[in-house]
Amino acid sequence: MIPDTLAKSLVKICGQSAVIVDEDRLLVYESDALTAYRHRPGAVVLPRTTAQVQGAVTAIARHGLPIVPRGAGTGLSGGAVALDGAVVVGTARMNRILAIDVANRRAVLQPGVINAELSAAARPHGLYYAPDPSSQTACTIGGNVAENSGGPHCLKYGVTSRYVTGLTVVLPDGSVAKLGGQGRDAPGYDLVGLFVGSEGCFGIATEIEVGLLPLPEGVRTLLGIFDRIEDAGRAVSDIVSAGLLPAAMEIIDGPTIRAVEDSVFAAGYPTDAEAALVIEFDGVEAGLDAEAERAAEFCKRAGAREVRSARDEHERMALWKGRKKAFGAMGRIAPDLLVQDATVPRTTLPSILKGISEIGKRYDLVVANVFHAGDGNLHPNILFDRRDEDELERVERASKEIMQLCVDSGGTITGEHGVGLDKKHHMPLIYGPAELDAMWGVRRVFDPAATMNPGKVLPEETAPGWPVEGDARETGEPMATVGAAP
Amino acid sequence: MSIATAPTALSGVLPESRVLTGSAASGWTGGMPAEAVVFPADTDEVQALVRAANETGTRLLPAGAGSWLGAGGWTRVGGVIVSTARLDSVLHYEPADLTLTAGAGLGWRKLAALLEPNGQWLPVDGPGVGVGTLGGAAACGVPGPLRARYGAVRDNVLGLEVVTGDGRLLRIGGRVVKNVAGYDLVRLFTGSRGSLGVITRVSVRLFPRPEADVTMVFEGGVEEVLEVARVVRASPLPVAAAELVVRGAGVADGEAELAVRVLGGREEAEDVCSRLVAGIGAAPGGTMRGGESEVFHRRRIEWEGRLPLVVRLAALPGQLAATMEWARGVAGWTGGEVAGDVFGGVVRVKGSPGDDGAAELAETLTRVRREMEAAGGTMTLSQAPREVAARVGWTGAGGGGGGLAEKLKSLFDPRPVLQSRCP
Ligand SMILES: Cc1cc2nc3c(=O)[nH]c(=O)nc-3n(C[C@H](O)[C@H](O)[C@H](O)COP(=O)(O)OP(=O)(O)OC[C@H]3O[C@@H](n4cnc5c(N)ncnc54)[C@H](O)[C@@H]3O)c2cc1C
Ligand SMILES: Cc1cc2nc3c(=O)[nH]c(=O)nc-3n(C[C@H](O)[C@H](O)[C@H](O)COP(=O)(O)OP(=O)(O)OC[C@H]3O[C@@H](n4cnc5c(N)ncnc54)[C@H](O)[C@@H]3O)c2cc1C
Repeated sequence: MIPDTLAKSLVKICGQSAVIVDEDRLLVYESDALTAYRHRPGAVVLPRTTAQVQGAVTAIARHGLPIVPRGAGTGLSGGAVALDGAVVVGTARMNRILAIDVANRRAVLQPGVINAELSAAARPHGLYYAPDPSSQTACTIGGNVAENSGGPHCLKYGVTSRYVTGLTVVLPDGSVAKLGGQGRDAPGYDLVGLFVGSEGCFGIATEIEVGLLPLPEGVRTLLGIFDRIEDAGRAVSDIVSAGLLPAAMEIIDGPTIRAVEDSVFAAGYPTDAEAALVIEFDGVEAGLDAEAERAAEFCKRAGAREVRSARDEHERMALWKGRKKAFGAMGRIAPDLLVQDATVPRTTLPSILKGISEIGKRYDLVVANVFHAGDGNLHPNILFDRRDEDELERVERASKEIMQLCVDSGGTITGEHGVGLDKKHHMPLIYGPAELDAMWGVRRVFDPAATMNPGKVLPEETAPGWPVEGDARETGEPMATVGAAP
Repeated sequence: MSIATAPTALSGVLPESRVLTGSAASGWTGGMPAEAVVFPADTDEVQALVRAANETGTRLLPAGAGSWLGAGGWTRVGGVIVSTARLDSVLHYEPADLTLTAGAGLGWRKLAALLEPNGQWLPVDGPGVGVGTLGGAAACGVPGPLRARYGAVRDNVLGLEVVTGDGRLLRIGGRVVKNVAGYDLVRLFTGSRGSLGVITRVSVRLFPRPEADVTMVFEGGVEEVLEVARVVRASPLPVAAAELVVRGAGVADGEAELAVRVLGGREEAEDVCSRLVAGIGAAPGGTMRGGESEVFHRRRIEWEGRLPLVVRLAALPGQLAATMEWARGVAGWTGGEVAGDVFGGVVRVKGSPGDDGAAELAETLTRVRREMEAAGGTMTLSQAPREVAARVGWTGAGGGGGGLAEKLKSLFDPRPVLQSRCP
């Protein structure tokens, strides 16, 4: 519930239909794709323009309420969850592509544009937007900017921050800042780079300039089938160290394969295999076959029992199907799914995968791995039933051990899903007080009054005097209660 | 702080053998004013120096090899230069991970020699990086034409260790290629040019050296070569980099050359080159392959030495013809050269203006900046004679961010002790 006066000003700024205060309609905004964290927002406002965002932010801040930016709500770290009756500023209506500048290979767009729609709009010009999160048919570019999202093809092409060249941002105090733009070569600090990945804590991006790439001429897709997941991990590491640079390398492990094959998404992967490795090369036609052959050879040498290759787009889609539908399939075999996200050095993949499988066995849990292997970005997902309290506790302990294992190998606690609400208590695993304090400092530069998405990213206990006095803000639940499959 | 007392203020922190003063100091800086040059041997010593400077109010300038000091006018007041030259050990290099962590002072040539036997490289080709340090390249963050294929410096810096202006030691980012834990302070410090802290360690992402390295050079009148550049830029073929250079008499005569670099598998590179030539409709004046191509580009990034005037004009790549025209206008006053990054849109002018033309040069620069800003671009002086810089200003109105940059500077360097202002 928000004060009437605020509701009235929001209506005045954005229009009647853009303001949601009805309790039932607010339910939809209770969580993101990590459904364990549920908090109903005080209200939702859906502006259409930078000026409306500015007006809304100013009005909400004047009432002393916190603000949570929100894109499509596909986030997997609870970033768009509205704590403490915060008002959600959603970008659903800011979904216009403002310009596709073919000559300069860039686009200017509103933040609510869906990732896949940008590529679709660029395609007739022979261009596309490279970062391709698996959620790309649903997630927004604004959400991608806030999370610095990756995707399967980021192995060759890099993640979101490489492609964002300019931002118009409404800061928490209601002012508008233009960062970068016209190609990001202006002198000064890289404020665009600093804003990307700030998880909605620095302000609301209301206009985004991104770089586009020419569509590759040819694609070759392979599927290696392995009896041991470590072997698939070794194949990845061997391919990379041999100097090949595939566009994507993704691993789907045995439990995931079986989940997929048991579901309506059956992709024809052998159910007795312990890993499937999808490898894709793209570029000019010349030389592609040779690269694919070399990669196939590395798979066989690492112990692949079979390597399939796609001869046309139809077969290519079939090889990818198991990867693309993995999350959906897992959601069907267990009531709850804990989606993990950590990055490790590539060479440690075989030993980490083995370690994860041992941890799963020790806690008698099903851990299903499906991940961006080429980047060493793991998603060890734990399937469970939260009504089973004993299991819930084992999930919590196993997940902590897995995280620690990844960190000890020289890795990090999140490669692409962000910290949000879910992982803020893991931040001290990788950063000491000095680093956390520096991050608090930067956050305060953008948001001195703690208005924007408070309770996310940084653990409160690391910042004396934060949150502001008298604020008994809820700081999220322990991670094991993380819930239903996205 | 007087010249006599500055080193004393920091004395005791480092042994005398690692402190240069007087003519030894100005010898190291190449004549730029400096009260002392100090060479800490580890991060602790850097931290001790910065803390001592905070206590005594001594001004510091972080440096690597000192190859590009004085840029942007940051060193006009002298002070103590803290060189990372001795922080040059390789701390972690796992070739199969394609990542490396090293002290900021690791020389670029040493780095390249270390990577070479493993068929790897750090594809950063900003002007001058080849004679500097790894930390200097991260601190300057200036990309070169290879950005088209490999991303800018900031895209390949994975982690940093820095001692901030107020003496805090931060280890930010990491050494894995994908990492979104917390706010991206690595991006903030990369390109901050010594204004926020001293970078002491750098982790970078490496790349396999492509099998084939081919450079085609097209020559002709500026208009003609610009048209070739336009065709190359519009082509969907994977070109790694393209740079247009107008040199010497060419500035007046309008003669130019365009170097188009193709990297990849052998079969792929040859195919791309022949299709590019077909698209352009003219054969290149020369083609370099393998080592020859590499050397050509290495020379280019080690290029100009300490030229008194370097100007950077940045606009969208589609505006390249106009930007080149502005650049030639500036170069006309300096007898210098113009080099334009075809995919990035950045054009650099470098030269040695005579003393007499300073007023006219300043006038030209001021006009060019005004016109470029009106067209959405920027013009920055990287190096300039004092008199010219005073009239023109190092940077223009651009930058943006409404006060955020100043707040970030005072967050990490409140006193301030670091000489550089926001770049
Ligand atoms: C099935 C599935 C697969 C996925 N695969 C991937 C993957 O491959 N790679 C990957 O990286 N992620 C993946 N994700 C996670 C998620 O899709 C991404 O994090 C995505 O970028 C979130 O976008 P969104 O629009 O849904 O943002 P939301 O979930 O609505 O918000 C995410 C965060 O961004 C902030 N935010 C949103 N818009 C703005 C704005 N305009 N300005 C400032 N802050 C804003 C919010 O406050 C929040 O903190 C996947 C998710 C699912 C459910
Ligand atoms: C011929 C030539 C041309 C160049 N052209 C340009 C240009 O046009 N534009 C441009 O921006 N750069 C330019 N550079 C700089 C270049 O991009 C390299 O980054 C530079 O050579 C680094 O060299 P260095 O290690 O000697 O750094 P130095 O010359 O010692 O320092 C260069 C700058 O980086 C800062 N710095 C260096 N090391 C650190 C550190 N460890 N921590 C914090 N700050 C540090 C210094 O404060 C200074 O501002 C040029 C260099 C040369 C030699």
